[in-house]
Amino acid sequence: MHELSMANSMVEAILDTAKKNDAIKINEAVFEVGELTMLNPEQLRFMMDVLREGTIFEDAKIIINMIPTKIECESCGFTGSIETDENTDHLMTVATCPECKNTRVHILQGQECNIKTIKIEKDDENA
Amino acid sequence: MHNVASIEIEQDIIQANDKLAYDNRTKFDEKGVFAVDLVGAVGSGKTSLLEKLIDEMDDDIGVIAGDILSKFDAKRIEDKNVPVKGLNTGKECHLDAHLIEHALPDVPLDDISILFIENVGNLICPADFNLGAHVRTVIISVTEGDDTAEKHPMIFKGADMAIVNKVDLADAVGADADKMVKDIKTINPDIPVVKCSLKTGEGVQEIIDLYKKFQEQ
Repeated sequence: MHELSMANSMVEAILDTAKKNDAIKINEAVFEVGELTMLNPEQLRFMMDVLREGTIFEDAKIIINMIPTKIECESCGFTGSIETDENTDHLMTVATCPECKNTRVHILQGQECNIKTIKIEKDDENA
Repeated sequence: MHNVASIEIEQDIIQANDKLAYDNRTKFDEKGVFAVDLVGAVGSGKTSLLEKLIDEMDDDIGVIAGDILSKFDAKRIEDKNVPVKGLNTGKECHLDAHLIEHALPDVPLDDISILFIENVGNLICPADFNLGAHVRTVIISVTEGDDTAEKHPMIFKGADMAIVNKVDLADAVGADADKMVKDIKTINPDIPVVKCSLKTGEGVQEIIDLYKKFQEQ
């Protein structure tokens, strides 16, 4: 289960940061997940819910922002979003430039799995 | 009354793996070992290909055989009398750089020139995880269906060479091997693709020549 290992790394990193910052509770965590990662955000959320049970992260609001794909075409220099076609797997479009239809394209964005920020609560003494 | 603070973490889990992969690559380079990450679905022919390569290649080969639970693949390689480290992921569907790092002390890097890392049978999850190998080979077989490449573009986008295996069975299963080659080339125009049958031996020498070429680069 791919999502489980990612969720595990994310929960660990968050609890670690919270501990270093003397948090007594985590209120919110914001993530960025690229469209092209082989990660399903709903499964990721579910796995995190299982893993954070019984921790100070348990009741935090989880926000997952999906990062759209951006490509650069080697041939015409086009930089931007890909075109999605309902008839093909959306990932297949990473292969073709929407401008010149060339298939030599580089992926600039969409492969991230990023923990952006967390909001924590601290005791007054530790603030 | 508690104080609330917002903390920037900005930690990319995939990049964290890439950093470990870089460390693995450094280790391979220091030891002069050429490392290959071999990915493919369950039953695509990864282990059979390795058995064939061990028989046919002149190099000193070592293998890390990734598997979810069993030791079957490691045992098959062991029977070929080459050093093999079985690596069970337990529940994970892919190998990652961290697992490889932990397996490396059990691999005699001083005695081998090529290390094949047989990934867990899967075309999806391994796409996100760089292991630090010099070359990633994707092997798919005609029996998986000739739409396999277009259904899994990301694994081909990040690969360095591809093998379409079991071409001797194409007619029997109604698959078009040339379509599979064409799809792979659409996804990744520069990738060398070999049509192969481990049963008849077709394509095996071509695969060996490709590895030699990569090794010299």
